[in-house]
Amino acid sequence: MKTLVAIAAVLASTGAAACPDLAVEQAWIREAPPGAMAAAYGKLVNRGKRALIVDGARSADFGGAGLHRTETDDNGISRMREAQLELAPGASALLEPGGWHLMLFDPARLLKAGDSVSLTLTCGKSARAFPFIVKATE
Amino acid sequence: MKPARTAAVAIAALAALGLGVLAASRWYAPAPGPQVASGTMLRAPRAVAAFQLTDHDGRPYTNAQLEGHWTLLFAGFTHCPDVCPTTLGVMKQLSQRLATPAALHYVFLSVDPERDTPAQLKNYVTYFSPAIRGVTGPREQLDALCASLGLAYLKIPGASDSDYTVDHSAALVLLDRRGRVAGYFQPPHKLDTLAADLAGIVASGT
Repeated sequence: MKTLVAIAAVLASTGAAACPDLAVEQAWIREAPPGAMAAAYGKLVNRGKRALIVDGARSADFGGAGLHRTETDDNGISRMREAQLELAPGASALLEPGGWHLMLFDPARLLKAGDSVSLTLTCGKSARAFPFIVKATE
Repeated sequence: MKPARTAAVAIAALAALGLGVLAASRWYAPAPGPQVASGTMLRAPRAVAAFQLTDHDGRPYTNAQLEGHWTLLFAGFTHCPDVCPTTLGVMKQLSQRLATPAALHYVFLSVDPERDTPAQLKNYVTYFSPAIRGVTGPREQLDALCASLGLAYLKIPGASDSDYTVDHSAALVLLDRRGRVAGYFQPPHKLDTLAADLAGIVASGT
């Protein structure tokens, strides 16, 4: 019985975080000064039939990565915090400058506009890699 | 109270009232300077208290460096992946569009002097544009300048001593040719409107 409950719990957790159902459209990374932190943007879409929670990121091209959100309060103070993004079935969320973004730090190589970088998004224990294109600062 | 003294007090009170009315009329009168669509200009420019900082080439950066031209200033830090690059990108585009390097200076004020050395600042800001000057310095000098500019920042601890973030005002501050706070521009910035406003201000001669 204990084993059954454990298996059910595992199924429930992986089922609720089905990263294979995640898609990223218009995925891009803003080119950053040499050695500096960068940020990745795009539109996250849940193409599955279950809700999913995107809770982090990683990449071989960066020492670390994370899902962050910038918020600016009524006093004009900008705050950036690590956060999780919950997507209902069929729902999407826009990662864009001044809002949700994937923070990328300690770059392993110099990234220039036009380069492609693989970023892996995680949903709990599930994960999926996506190609992101580096774009020049506007 | 003796009559003479009462009269003196009354005169002083009237004088104070008169000064108050004068001050109020100046304060509440329509702004004499250019009108802007993308930000808020102060009705009366506000003086900046004395400060002593250093630019990214190691040269002194004080009130004197604010004189004789307009200055657009943004406070942030280089370990900032989203808002700071976005705003420095706006400065880069403004500097290309307005092409008035002598009349309008661009300053990135780092409120993270522990991590942002002058060399690091130079590497960071000049990546965006050679027109942007990185400035930082001792904590108490930064605090004094930020207080004068009406900007706030707060260090938020992270997992380790070197891993922290900084909450900070996201506005662009405009300083006039006498080094006084003239106005503020809050994000998200609309580049066309902001560029038109700044072009008008720089050309106005005020």
